[in-house]
Amino acid sequence: MFDAFIDGLFLVLQWKAFSLMLVGMGLGFCVGLLPGIGGAATLALMIPFIFKMSPAEAFAFLLGMHSVAATTGDITSVLFGVPGEAISAATVVDGYPMAKKGEAGRALGAALMSSLLGALIGAVALALAIPIVRPLVLTFGSPELFMLSVIGISCITSLSGAGARGQIKGFAMGLLGLLVSTIGQERQSGSLRFDMGIMYLWEGLDFVPVLVGIFAIPEIIDLAVRGTSIAGEGPAQNLRSGVMEGIKDTFRHFWLVFRCSVIGVFVGIMPGAGGGVAQWMAYAHSVQSAKDSKDRERFGKGDVRGVLGPGAANNSKEGGELIPTVAFGVPGSGAMAILLSGFLIMGLVPGPDMLTKHLSITFSMVWTLAIANIITVLLCLTVLDQLAKITNVRGGWIIPFVLLLVFVGSYTANGQIADLIVTLIFGMISYFMVLFGWPRPPFVLGFVLGKVIETYLFISMSRYGFTWLKHPIVVLLIVLMVVVIVYPYIQQRRDRAAGSANA
Amino acid sequence: MRKGRVLFCIFLIAVATYAIRSALGWSFKTKLFPLSVSIPLLVLATIQLLQLIFGKGETDEGAGLDLDFSSDVPAEVARRRVINTFSWIIAFIVSVYLIGFPLTVPLFIFFYLKFQSEVSWLYTIAATAITWGFFYTLFQWLVHIQFESGAIQTWLGW
Repeated sequence: MFDAFIDGLFLVLQWKAFSLMLVGMGLGFCVGLLPGIGGAATLALMIPFIFKMSPAEAFAFLLGMHSVAATTGDITSVLFGVPGEAISAATVVDGYPMAKKGEAGRALGAALMSSLLGALIGAVALALAIPIVRPLVLTFGSPELFMLSVIGISCITSLSGAGARGQIKGFAMGLLGLLVSTIGQERQSGSLRFDMGIMYLWEGLDFVPVLVGIFAIPEIIDLAVRGTSIAGEGPAQNLRSGVMEGIKDTFRHFWLVFRCSVIGVFVGIMPGAGGGVAQWMAYAHSVQSAKDSKDRERFGKGDVRGVLGPGAANNSKEGGELIPTVAFGVPGSGAMAILLSGFLIMGLVPGPDMLTKHLSITFSMVWTLAIANIITVLLCLTVLDQLAKITNVRGGWIIPFVLLLVFVGSYTANGQIADLIVTLIFGMISYFMVLFGWPRPPFVLGFVLGKVIETYLFISMSRYGFTWLKHPIVVLLIVLMVVVIVYPYIQQRRDRAAGSANA
Repeated sequence: MRKGRVLFCIFLIAVATYAIRSALGWSFKTKLFPLSVSIPLLVLATIQLLQLIFGKGETDEGAGLDLDFSSDVPAEVARRRVINTFSWIIAFIVSVYLIGFPLTVPLFIFFYLKFQSEVSWLYTIAATAITWGFFYTLFQWLVHIQFESGAIQTWLGW
């Protein structure tokens, strides 16, 4: 175990892997700052470029980029009240009022340092979880893994919208993703499904053109519709003053940062919850930690604790999300679903092998998370003034370059013009999904997990018939799935009852 | 917006119906999974459609864990810009089909920056040259990606 831990470090420190991590970090840095482009979309864009890399190089590149995007996303949240990433939204609540009060430097210092601590705690959690998770994973067979995958989709759908309608939409999108994954040759019998007589569809739809269309196109459209500079008309401020104060704040409230990091790790472990939930739970915990009602009133008006909590949770959840992704092949978020496709491209099957045969690669991910965040925060602290200027670039100047990246990325999947058409079709479907409030993460999760789920289902049915449904862990997981699905309804009913009691 | 929501539900129902009809003729192994997902999809999309038609009506809120489109721009302007952007995307794909990727890249960047973003000549030419240079160096010279020839080059026998 210790040897694999050290091997993991050396894998990251090899010049090629380290250089690729730096390239990934540079991309993640820009993506985190640009509100028009999400970290998940960029992961999807970069997937085609990993084909010729070794697994350690590919994960250094992808994880370096992804973890940095979460850190730098806080910068535009603080400066302009525009979340650089969807997972940086909670930072706006107190970060932007701090900037308006002339404390932008302090807020940024706090956000960056809490992000660093959060990332380190997440990386430690991932490293510690490996020996605990290993025996658990080894007891899981195809039926249990099938149920876990189904729970992953259930979790993300149950959180995709409020109430029964939100759940219906979430599940429908998850099912649509699963259905789309069945296009092409069926693995067991070789029969063609939904090929519509088109040879391109025989092999099934490639991850990249679909994911790029689903994530990137609606964000580009939104950027074009707004027609302004991507961050709006933000104020020019000297940010350096106060940065040190923000760093000191992180250590003054160390236990709050620690607790919020733990929240991030736990939410990350739960498949489907993701950073969107972690940041708000951490923010809620920060508010709950106020000494009294008067202290609580400071939140929302520029309290540094409102920046520290979400900042820490956003980054610690990266380590947490990697735990189910690596150990069970159940991604914790849309970004992890895309990362999962990276595993499959590299020929790595998430599960027991990642904790035995490929343990050093798993540990290289831990090291990447830690090293990438340390370098990013040190770099951010030195170039804060220049960073802000990037977000004032006009949207119209950015769009053609992003579109180019989108289509080159999708074209490299198969080298056919059909890849571009697939991207356009799924981009259009995705645009209407967003427009009409149908969540995209369940679709992506369904599409990425579809083939794995079908294989597990097929093996379970072939080996056990229907008796696999009586396996103790399967029964437990079915109960858990029911709880996951029913809980939002119970919560809604409780809220209604509490509301009517107050009225 | 309501009409659009109804149409999207009908689209989902049509997809699920097509999947069920196609799968019914396959062997058990082949149809098991597609049927297990398309039947509940049909049921859920139908419930959603019925709720839209006969229910209390839906708010314009987006999906909980997803992007929300900007609502600051007037609907008519937003619609025009959406159609405009999709037109550029379609033009890009048609251009790749006709003249191939390597030629489309500089032309697209040039025309978009000059005529859509209305950027100065100097910036347009500089950005086009840098992008073309970057594209050629990275994808053709370093990575050796084989781009298909355009239909026009094929027709001319180039």
